[in-house]
Amino acid sequence: MSFLEVFQYTRQDSIMHRLDPRSKLVLSIVCAAVSMMFMEIIPLLMVFICLLPMIAAAKSLGRWAKSMKGLASLLVFVLVFNTLLSPVENPLSYSLSLAIRLVALMTSFSLFFLTVQPDQLSQALIQMRVKFEFAFAMSMAMRYVPTLGQEAYAIMDAQRARGVELDKGNLIKRIRNVIPIIVPLIIVSIRRALSIAESMESRGFGASENRTYMEMLRFGKWDWALALSSLMVLILVIYVRFFVGLPGWMLWNLPF
Amino acid sequence: MIILEDVHYTYDGIYTALQGISLQVDDGERLAVIGANGAGKTTMIKHMNGLLRPQEGRVILDGQDTKFMSVAEIAREVGLVFQNPDHQLFLDSVKKEVEFGLRNIGFTENEAEQRRQKTLASLGLEGLAERSPFTLSGGERKRVALASVLSTEPRFLALDEPTIGQDAHQKNRLAQMLAEMNKRGRTVVVVTHDIEFVIENFPRTVAMAEGQIIADGSTNMVLSNDEVIERCSLAPPQMTLAARAIRNVFPEVGQRLTLLSELEETIMGILGGA
Repeated sequence: MSFLEVFQYTRQDSIMHRLDPRSKLVLSIVCAAVSMMFMEIIPLLMVFICLLPMIAAAKSLGRWAKSMKGLASLLVFVLVFNTLLSPVENPLSYSLSLAIRLVALMTSFSLFFLTVQPDQLSQALIQMRVKFEFAFAMSMAMRYVPTLGQEAYAIMDAQRARGVELDKGNLIKRIRNVIPIIVPLIIVSIRRALSIAESMESRGFGASENRTYMEMLRFGKWDWALALSSLMVLILVIYVRFFVGLPGWMLWNLPF
Repeated sequence: MIILEDVHYTYDGIYTALQGISLQVDDGERLAVIGANGAGKTTMIKHMNGLLRPQEGRVILDGQDTKFMSVAEIAREVGLVFQNPDHQLFLDSVKKEVEFGLRNIGFTENEAEQRRQKTLASLGLEGLAERSPFTLSGGERKRVALASVLSTEPRFLALDEPTIGQDAHQKNRLAQMLAEMNKRGRTVVVVTHDIEFVIENFPRTVAMAEGQIIADGSTNMVLSNDEVIERCSLAPPQMTLAARAIRNVFPEVGQRLTLLSELEETIMGILGGA
């Protein structure tokens, strides 16, 4: 699962990290939308090539490359299965573009998640007029993912100590072995959620309607520049794709 | 017999939990492990049943290096009860929960039922057999988790903080049950902060600090050592404080007093001699 690392915030100082989360959200969505609009190899490669300098600007090329290595087996899977099973004319060409599209999509969203701290994300949501309770719930959920992982390991230990053999037996036995892990994990999570709720209420959560914030996000001139230019690119691409049509050389396909 | 030989363990290559633990636990012993939070106590007992493997050093169970044994194999010999009962309870009745471990180890239905009834009765849970563990109180759940392992009567039993959340009455029941099992030849290792529980039930104590064993010997000796009390961040036992107060008046009172009976004897001696 190492390819998920590309969606994990890394504390760093870079041009990308300093931008406002909202402008990066626009950028990510535009990049993802553009890669969804094409099914041909050359335009997708162009999107991909445009994304690389942005990852470099976030000083995260190393991490990105590592994640893509982790993704490699999934990409091979996508290539092989689609080539063998899809009913289109040029199956290899088609599945190659699917694979490039997957990489481009992941890279687009990783631009956002790599460079936005969870606290900033909830602050951005709040300043986008999402209700505080929802924004807070979302950042709590993100905050508790690693805790849940640790909990899962502790539960596995406790069950192994009782003689449950997690990695033995046939498929059905292994699936049944998940029950002693999943049930405590759910129960522990519910119990924790209830006690967190109680402790938050006893510390006055939701006591006043209008909250104030110590740190407010500021949408600076670079953020405007980024958001507006992203939108312009999006409009241009939509115009070319749907009203003008791509030039012939961009529609090139592999012969099989 | 469990032997730990110069065991080192570091979590994620960053946080050093054990730095050279050597310990021998003989058959039929009752041993308490004390130490401040983060001293490495839990890490150490997880080595006893193979959940953690030493990065340096060896763990030897009955003369056999545990490196070549699976956790399930070791679990037949070494039972371990964790701090948090919610990490192991998953069935919908106390009865099933206790029988689960017994069936894992291979007891027949009949035997499993007998053992289950006996264990539940010894821990004061007989009335709760049909209840779902999730509707029980924290202390009751803790006892169900204990019951699920105690019922299998492994030859070695390691308990992590078994007295948390238990009232005096329940603690006595637990102590009694451990004593009975010990009489039948089982070895009991307990990790705890509960000094009174240690003094009353465990003849031998191992004190840990910063991943090392700083004292190992009779409970009496270890607990009257001021350095141990300080480094394990314990409150000195009441009896030690009382003995010190009396020593200010009667210098003949001994340094090492942890039991009420010893104090009584000394005072009677002084009074009789006066």
